[in-house]
Amino acid sequence: MKLSVLAALVTTLLITAELTAQRRGRGGQGGQGGPPGAPPTPSVTESQPATGKPKSHTAIVGGDVYLGTGQRMTGATVLVGDDKIIAVGHNLQLPEGTNIIDAKGKTISPGFVCVVGNGMGQGRGAPWIDSVNPFDPEIKQALAAGITSFLAGSPGSGPLPTGDTAVIKLDWGSVKGMVLSEGTVLGMSAQLNANDRERFQDLVKKVMSYRKALEEFPAKKAADANYKAPELPTGGESIMKILNGEAKLWVQLSSGGFNPFGGKRFGMSNDLAAIRDANAIATMLGVGVVMQKPMSAWLCADEIAATGSMVMISPRDRIPPDPSDPDRSGSNLATTAILATAGVPVAVTCPNGGYGGGAGVTTGGIMGQDLNTPHIDAAFTVRGGLDNRKALRTITIDAARVIGVDRRIGSLAPGKDADILILDGDPLHYRTFVQAAMVNGKVVYEKDKEPFYSHIQR
Amino acid sequence: MTATQHTQAFSLALLTAALFAQDAKPPAALAPGELTLVTWHPKRPTKESDYQVARWGPRGLPSQGYVFRARKILPITQPPIDDGAIITHDGVIQAIGKSKDLAVPAGYEVIECGDTWIVPGFVDLHCHIASPSFDLNDTVHPTNPEFRTLDLISMEHDQIRMARAGGITSVLYLPGSGSNMGGFGTLTKTWGHSPDDALIRFPGSLKIAQAGNPERGTGDLGATVMGMNEGLRMTLLDGKRYYDQYERFLAGQGQKPKFDPTLELLRGLFRHEFPVSVHTQIYQVVLETLRELRLELGLWTVVVHGEFDAYRLSGNMQEAGLPIAAGPRTYHFDRATSKILGLHQVWYTGGPYYPWRSPVQGVGRDGIGINTDSPVVPEEQLTVQAAIAVRLGLPHEVALRGLTINPARFAGIDHRTGSLEVGKDADLVVWSGDPIDPRSTVQKTVVNGNLCYRRDEKRPAW
Repeated sequence: MKLSVLAALVTTLLITAELTAQRRGRGGQGGQGGPPGAPPTPSVTESQPATGKPKSHTAIVGGDVYLGTGQRMTGATVLVGDDKIIAVGHNLQLPEGTNIIDAKGKTISPGFVCVVGNGMGQGRGAPWIDSVNPFDPEIKQALAAGITSFLAGSPGSGPLPTGDTAVIKLDWGSVKGMVLSEGTVLGMSAQLNANDRERFQDLVKKVMSYRKALEEFPAKKAADANYKAPELPTGGESIMKILNGEAKLWVQLSSGGFNPFGGKRFGMSNDLAAIRDANAIATMLGVGVVMQKPMSAWLCADEIAATGSMVMISPRDRIPPDPSDPDRSGSNLATTAILATAGVPVAVTCPNGGYGGGAGVTTGGIMGQDLNTPHIDAAFTVRGGLDNRKALRTITIDAARVIGVDRRIGSLAPGKDADILILDGDPLHYRTFVQAAMVNGKVVYEKDKEPFYSHIQR
Repeated sequence: MTATQHTQAFSLALLTAALFAQDAKPPAALAPGELTLVTWHPKRPTKESDYQVARWGPRGLPSQGYVFRARKILPITQPPIDDGAIITHDGVIQAIGKSKDLAVPAGYEVIECGDTWIVPGFVDLHCHIASPSFDLNDTVHPTNPEFRTLDLISMEHDQIRMARAGGITSVLYLPGSGSNMGGFGTLTKTWGHSPDDALIRFPGSLKIAQAGNPERGTGDLGATVMGMNEGLRMTLLDGKRYYDQYERFLAGQGQKPKFDPTLELLRGLFRHEFPVSVHTQIYQVVLETLRELRLELGLWTVVVHGEFDAYRLSGNMQEAGLPIAAGPRTYHFDRATSKILGLHQVWYTGGPYYPWRSPVQGVGRDGIGINTDSPVVPEEQLTVQAAIAVRLGLPHEVALRGLTINPARFAGIDHRTGSLEVGKDADLVVWSGDPIDPRSTVQKTVVNGNLCYRRDEKRPAW
């Protein structure tokens, strides 16, 4: 008994170590947010180490476990206590009364994380918990697609970070379980014009001095009882959140865009200048940003890596190159592979071709172009040259990082939310179906019990 | 029995079947491939040289001799060949078989493709690519048979280049569905030294949109299905009169009709030199297609949407020889049962009518094609459409047929392309693996014997 517990502990530690190593290796200084040297403030509720015993345990036993980090453990067990993962490993000692789910011959994966989504019970805006609908039928349809969390709302666009966003979990039937975080994503636009740039830079400087003053305040107050508390500069709240690592800054790049009809007359051009401007914003802040669909990112992957920035993209969106204009270099299917090799975390989303229902699950759209098949979106990174197992990161851990909630979701690791899929094959194979989906430790979808795909036998 | 009488009797029988026969005992489960659908076009000329209206593109243009060797070759109409080779020269396939059995002719270049699959180039019967702008809808009149896409094609258009990178070698470039009759579409290869070299056949088809887009929002000239069908029927009957008069003239019984370029093309339609591609979906509208175009007017008809609950006519379509190139939607959400039905799968084997009615019979292995309606789904993603179809239950081998030989048959170009056979055009694609898996990549594309796409690992087009 003691030996088994020790084995479990060792496995746990190993996984944690691996994760930490990955974080250091990829994404650079900005991967976890926060200014260099300062301990990052948790952006979301940190999962508490279990103080008491969990009320119930569930073990998913014997499957091929894809951790979501790029690694795989064959024939392993995932032990869940209440709504959190307790351990992942071989030969785990299971507490008495553990509910066993046999997953031999099956594949286990973290629930997929979509960095853009709409519908699916999301609600109408802050406070999101007041309007989420935990009985929206789209929740079941999205679970059937493997989605367990997504970013709802819209990161703002404009010269300063704004936006009303929430990370929604597809915890069928539970209002409380649906809102993982609010405001972990803010947005602004690039390129900035000269005025806006100056204004933004000024504000960032003011907020930085404020943070410094805030740090020094306790000591100064102790020395001088009349010492006045520093005041947050007007309009500096969102920058403060970003500097504290409480929110990711998404940068919308002007002049990128995608038009399915092609042709210059729709105003398509290269977004390289906007990407470099987004990098400049990251440098000003000292925190990596997230670039939204940077079509030319493959030309400057190292520059993006150097600022610790991240990318969300659909490998299927494209801009044709124009041989007559060197500034129009076009997109590249290999972008995700090139970025990943350079150490830039990439989250993949569905294409935005103007047809097919967009970033949602609907019953009348074009499947394959919407959120009904996130694994097929990730499959296109493999087509572009990314390793099959690493490609899963684009819809799991790296997607969670891009929306600032990787402490809670995106991989199978002790302490993380029990959002787990049981699949009938390689997660990125087009014929693979979700057999069961667990969110917050509860089985909320079973293929055989829901109408959508129960008639399809692989 | 005259052709008209026959058509009418057939029509009546079919409609009776459509309206009253669903409560008969359910059809026995189909073994894959058991049912065949023979596309109905009885007047079609047997030789290309017998065509009077449609014009065929050139064949056998000079091309370098190649020997392609790969681990697997899927000829589609023959069993797969392991460790196979294909020999091509001057635009056509000269030999196909086991590598060890085929000697390399002098002067031919051997291209070792290693651990790859060679499959026929794919055929997409519903696309709107190829022109430098989005020239596909013009609504000068409610019906516009005077339009044609032939003059719009540019071989270096971005989406045609992407088609090559996606393994598609033949496309039917159709006008849009903005008016009831959009004009004449063009069947073209996706590569050629010029659009004339790439041409397969013009007209590829006549585009008709029965409903579900061409409705006039302003309320004039066909805001409803009845009005739109009237407009279509009048235009087609004009063509029929011209055709009849021309046939009488050819039989030595009357004057040659005064030449009319538009009616002349419609004459080809009634001669079954090319089909009508019908934008039609949902049960009610596809029933109109079956009744009005196929049975009443006796046209060689191909459905190019066939979405939603239209598959409930699959038994009737099979009987009438009316094939379906389904898409771009690949599923139907059945509201009665909340099931997500694979659109291609339910056309193939038949599917539920309502939960309380007997299921309908399918069109079988040879009646179903897969399309993109690009740019609705970008042209290079034709295989993604197949991936979803297979995911939702269509057998893999039927999906491959739906990308190759089936659409080639529907369009009447299967003597040229759609499978890897000696004497057919050398349209083949080297894939890194299963072509339907989105993770697989096109390594090389060959059109009319010319290597026109090679994958660049640093910058793969697709």
